[in-house]
Amino acid sequence: MKKNLGILAVIAVVFIVTAIGGDGFLSAFNLYNLVERISLYAIIGIGVSFVIVTGGIDLSIGSFIGLCAVTFPFLVIGHNVSLTTGLLLLLTMSVCAGLFHGLLVTKLDLQPFVVTLCTLMMYRGVARHLVSDSTMGYSDERFQPLSLMVGRLSELPWFEGQAWARHVPVALLIMIVIGVLAAVFLNRTIYGRDLMALGRNREAAHLSGINTTKMIILAYVLCSVTSGFGALLFALDVVSVQPSTFGSFYELYAIAAAVLGGCSLRGGEGSIFGVILGAALMRLLMNSIQMLGVSDALEEFVIGFVILLGVIIDVIVKRVVAKRRARQQATVAAGAE
Amino acid sequence: MLKLKLTRLVALMMAVSLVTFAGCSDDSSDKPSVAYVTNGVASFWVIAEKGALDGAKEFDADVKVIMPKDVEDQKRKCEDLLARGTDGIAISPIDSANQAQLLKQISELTTLITHDSDAPDSDRLCYIGMDNYTAGRMCGALVKEALPEGGEIMIFVGRLGQENARLRRQGVIDELMDRSHDSSRYDEPGTSINEGGKYTVLDTRTDGFDFAKAKAQAQDAISKYPNLKGMVGLFAYNPPKILDAVREANKLEQIQVIGFDEEAETLQGIQDGEVYGTVVQNPYRYGFESVRVLSALARGDKSVIPEDGFLDIPARQIRKDNVDEFRAELDRLTSTAPAADSGDEEGSDEATEADAAAVSETDSQ
Amino acid sequence: MSESEPAPLLSVDRVTKRFPGVTALKDVCLSLQPGEVLALIGENGAGKSTLMKILAGVQLPDEGTIRVAGNSVTLDSVHTSQSQGIALIHQELNLSGNLDVGANIFLGREPRRFGLIDKDTIRKKSRALLKRLGLNVDPDTLVDHLPIGQQQLVEIARALSVDARVLIMDEPTSSLSQHETERLMQVVKELRCDGVSVIYISHRLREVMELADRVTVFRDGENAGELTREEMTHDSMVQLMVGRDVSQFYSRQPHPPGDVALEVSAITSPLDPGQRLSFQVRQGEIVGVSGLVGAGRSEMLEVVFGVRPTLQGHVKVGGRQLRLRSPVDAVEAGLALVPEDRKKQGVILELAVRTNIGLAGLRRHRRLGAFLNEAQEKADSAAMVKKLRIKTPGDLQTVQFLSGGNQQKVVLGKWLAMEPTVLLLDEPTRGIDIGAKHEIYTLMDQLAAAGMAILFVSSEMEEIIGMSDRVIVMHEGRITGELPREQLTEQSVMQLATGG
Repeated sequence: MKKNLGILAVIAVVFIVTAIGGDGFLSAFNLYNLVERISLYAIIGIGVSFVIVTGGIDLSIGSFIGLCAVTFPFLVIGHNVSLTTGLLLLLTMSVCAGLFHGLLVTKLDLQPFVVTLCTLMMYRGVARHLVSDSTMGYSDERFQPLSLMVGRLSELPWFEGQAWARHVPVALLIMIVIGVLAAVFLNRTIYGRDLMALGRNREAAHLSGINTTKMIILAYVLCSVTSGFGALLFALDVVSVQPSTFGSFYELYAIAAAVLGGCSLRGGEGSIFGVILGAALMRLLMNSIQMLGVSDALEEFVIGFVILLGVIIDVIVKRVVAKRRARQQATVAAGAE
Repeated sequence: MLKLKLTRLVALMMAVSLVTFAGCSDDSSDKPSVAYVTNGVASFWVIAEKGALDGAKEFDADVKVIMPKDVEDQKRKCEDLLARGTDGIAISPIDSANQAQLLKQISELTTLITHDSDAPDSDRLCYIGMDNYTAGRMCGALVKEALPEGGEIMIFVGRLGQENARLRRQGVIDELMDRSHDSSRYDEPGTSINEGGKYTVLDTRTDGFDFAKAKAQAQDAISKYPNLKGMVGLFAYNPPKILDAVREANKLEQIQVIGFDEEAETLQGIQDGEVYGTVVQNPYRYGFESVRVLSALARGDKSVIPEDGFLDIPARQIRKDNVDEFRAELDRLTSTAPAADSGDEEGSDEATEADAAAVSETDSQ
Repeated sequence: MSESEPAPLLSVDRVTKRFPGVTALKDVCLSLQPGEVLALIGENGAGKSTLMKILAGVQLPDEGTIRVAGNSVTLDSVHTSQSQGIALIHQELNLSGNLDVGANIFLGREPRRFGLIDKDTIRKKSRALLKRLGLNVDPDTLVDHLPIGQQQLVEIARALSVDARVLIMDEPTSSLSQHETERLMQVVKELRCDGVSVIYISHRLREVMELADRVTVFRDGENAGELTREEMTHDSMVQLMVGRDVSQFYSRQPHPPGDVALEVSAITSPLDPGQRLSFQVRQGEIVGVSGLVGAGRSEMLEVVFGVRPTLQGHVKVGGRQLRLRSPVDAVEAGLALVPEDRKKQGVILELAVRTNIGLAGLRRHRRLGAFLNEAQEKADSAAMVKKLRIKTPGDLQTVQFLSGGNQQKVVLGKWLAMEPTVLLLDEPTRGIDIGAKHEIYTLMDQLAAAGMAILFVSSEMEEIIGMSDRVIVMHEGRITGELPREQLTEQSVMQLATGG
C-alpha cells in the first residue's frame, strides 16, 4: 500500500476534481463504464508486468490483441469452428507466441525490445492478411455465451436478481480473479520468487540453481496468454474489430499502467495492486477529460503529463519516506549509544 | 518537510490545472447541447467542425465535436457523452453493422442521427449525407472520362469496414464495369475485376488512416503494376498522397489520379492538370445540418426530419473547368469561422448564411 | 600531532557521516604530508570507502572539516574535489572500455580546437603521461583491449592529467597479477618522488609494509590507531584492525579424509580444448586451487558447477555420474558454488538477507508443489544469521547495505542452508576484511571436519598454504601438479604456477 501512496493520491485528486466539475461523472452509467474499462486495461497490464518483472518488455501486446481478436471470429464464423475449439486454438496461439518470444530472448539472447518490436509488426500484418483487412464482428449469436464476460454481474446465474449486481461489470470480477491469481503467483510461489530474483540479477539467480531460461520463457507465455484473453474481452466489448487498428497502442497503455504501479523497467520490482491502480488512473483520466469537457485534442497531452507527474510524485514520496526512516534509525542508534 | 510541501504543491497545481481545463467548456444553460462525432481525425472533419460550430451559433445550441481515433475510442467517447448527458448525437459510425449495440444505447438515452456514413438498421432518426454509392458512380464516371481508352485501376481507402467506403468503392467498380445500379453488391478485395470491358480494377488498398502508409501503398502500387493507368483515392487524404507518389515516380503522363473530397492539394492538382477530377461532398453542410436537425429535435420540432429519413447533401464532380469557382467558395467558407469571434458578428453571420446558400445552390446543379 | 611538523597537505578533522541504520564515520581524523604515502587499512565496513567518497566529493560529511593546504574546503562535487587536486581511483575501474586510452584520459575535459575535439593534443599529452608511468601503449588502443593491470595505469594517468596532488587508490591491486602489482607499486614509489601524496587503501598488508610511510587504521568507523614505518608489522596492523590478538590466523586442522565426494575425470579444459582435467576431492578435505590470474581456475569450477558445458569427460558426485546442463543440476546433486564476483554473481543486492539465503532452497522446501515455504525460509535465515554471525539490523535488511564480508556470509548461508556435500569456493575472501576472513577460515575448517568436501580457488598464497590439505596448481588451462600439505611452500606452488 505504502508503495502506491503517490498514485493513490493522484487518483483521489482527479476523482474529486471530476466529481465536482464534471456532469454525470458520478452517475451509475458512467461509473459502470469506467470500472469496466479499468478492468480490461488492468488485465493486460497484469500480463505485461510478468515480463517487466524479469527486466524484459513486450511491445507486441497491442497487435497480438488485434491478431487474436481477428482470428477468433475468423475461426468461429468463417470456418464454423465450435466455440470451445476456437478458445483452445486461441490459447494455443497465445502459448506459441509467448514461447516464441521467450525462446528468442533466452536461447538466442536477443533483446526483448527488438524481438517484440518485430513481432508487433508481424502480428499486425498476419491479422490484416488473414481476413483481407475486412472488419470482423462479434455481434453474431454464437458469441452470446462469451458476451457474458463483458456483461453485468446480474446476468450471471449466481447473482441473478440482485439489484447491486446490475451495476457491477463481470469484467471487474474477472480482473479481480486474475489479479489475485497473479499476486499469489508473484508473491507466494517459488516461480514468482524466481522471477523477482532473476529480474534483479539474472546471473546470481542462475548460479543459485534457478532455471532462469525456463522462468523467462514462462513470463512471456503468461504475458501472451493474458493478452490473448484480454483480446477476447476487448473484442466482445467493442464488438467491431478493424484488423489494421484494433489494439494499437495497447502495449503502451499496459506498460504505462505497470510503470505507474511501481514496476521498474530494470526488472525485479512490481506489484499487481499497483498495476491495477495504474490502469485505473489512466482510464479515469480519459474519462475525466470527457466529463470535464476538456478539448479532445488535449487528451494525449493530459494523460502523458499526469503519468509523468505520477511517477515524479512517486519518486519524491519514496525519497521522503527513506529520509524519514534514516532519521528515525539515526535517532534510535543515537539513543542506544 | 520541504519535500512533503512539494508533493502537496504538485497535487494542488494539478487540481488547479484540471479545473482550469474544465473551465474551458461553457456552462450549459437552456441551450440544447448536442454532440457531433466523426469517424476519425482529418481535415475533412475540420471543415465539418466549422459547419457544426456555425450551426451552433445559428441555431443557438452548444455543440461538442469529437474526433475519435478508432472504433474503440468512438465507443468510449460516446459512452462518456451519454454519461455526461447530451440532447442528441450525430455520429458517423465506423462499423455500423457491428456497432448496433452502441447505436442502440445512444438511441435509447438520447436522440441519434447519423451523418456521412449511415446505419440503416439502427433507430437513428435520420441520415444526413450523400448517397455514397451514387457518389462512387460519379467518381467512376470521372475515371471513364479521364481514361476513355480503358486500363488498369487501383483503389485506395482508409478503411473498408465503413459503410461509406464500401459503397463508394462499389460505386466506382460498378460504374467501370457498366453494371446496373445496385448498392447491395460487394466485390471482395484482393482479386482483380475485369468483366470483359476496357477497365480492370486490380485491387483495393487500405491504410487505417495512417497517412505515411497511404503514400507508401500508392508508391508500391506504382512499382508493382507498370501498366497502371488510373489511381482512385476514396478518402480525403488519399488523392494528395497518390499524387505525391505519382509525381515522384514521374508518371504524371501515364497515370490519371481521381479522388474524393476537397483537400487543398487535390484541388491544386486539378488546377495544375495533375489530378483529373474529384467528387466532393459537403462536410460543412454535414456539420451545419446535423446541428440544425439535432437542436430542432431538442426543442421538440420533428418537422426537420425528411419523410424517408434521408437528408440528401448531394455530391458534385469537380474538374478543371469548375475548380476555381469551387475553391473560391471553399475559401470563403473556411475563412469565416475564426472571424466570427471578432467585432462585426452580424456581418459574418450573414456571410455564413450567404455561403451556406451558395453551397446549396451549387449542390442542386 | 606535534608543533614541529610541517602543515599537512590534506587534513581531515573529526568527520562524522551517518547512513540509514549506521554511523559510517565517527569523529575520524587523518592527515597527509606532501610526498607521503599513507596507508589506510581497516576491516571492510570500517569506514575507509566512505571517507574516500567524501574526499572525492561524492558525498558530504554530516560534521567535521576538511582542509587542503590549511584552508577549510567544502568538497560538494567531484569537480570541486578535482580542482583541489584530489583524485580518486576506484576499486572498480571507471573506464569506458569502448573508447581509446587517450579519450579515457581526457574524458569530460577534452582539449578542443575550432570547437572540435583536438585528437593530436590528446595523443601527445597522453603519450607523455603514459611514459611517466612506464606504460608503453598507443593512446589509440581501445581500453577493452588492455589487460586489467594496464587499465589501472590508464586510470592513474587520468588522475595525473588533472595535476592531482593527492591520489587516493582504493584497493588498486585487488584484481592485478603479481607482476602487474609490482609494476604498480613501482609507479607509486616514483610518484612519491615527484611529490605526489598517495592514500593507499589495501587489505594486502605485505604491499602496505613495502610502500607506506605511515599507516592509519580504522575500526568500526573510528580511528583505531596509527603506526609509523618502524612500528609496522603484520601482527601489529592486524591487531589494530581486529582489536584483538590474532595468534592463530589460519585455523586448519586436517583430519583423515573420507570417501571420494567429487570426482572430475578428463573434462575438456575450457581454456585449452586440447587439455583434459582430472582430480578428486574427498569428504572432509580442503583442496586449494592455485595459479596465476587467467590460469583457468574459475573456468574449471564453472564446468564442475554446470555453468559451462562439459564437452567431454564427466563429473561424479558421491559416485554418481552427473549430467550437467545447468547449475540447476549441480545444485540438485549437492554441489554449491560461492562465485568470484560477490556482487554480480553471489548475492542479489536489492533483495533482503532472508530472501537471498532462501534462494537456493526455494525448490527443495516448496509446499503444494509451487508455494513458498516462508516459515522454512525464515527459520533457515535466522539459523544462518546466527551461525555465520552475519552483522545486520535484521534479516529483512537488503543485502546492499551490508559490508563485503557480511555479503559473502550471506552467499555462504544460502548454500549451507542446502547442506551441500561439495562446496566450491572461488576467491572466497577477496576484498573482505581480516575479521571476516578469519571467520570464513574457521567455518571452512568446521565444515570439513563435519565431512564436507571443499574445493577452493584463491590467488592469495598465504591462504592457499594456510588452509589447504592439498593444492592443485594450474597454468594456462592445464593442471601442472598437485602438492600435499607437507610439500606446500610458496616456491613449490609458484614453480608449478609458472608452468613447472
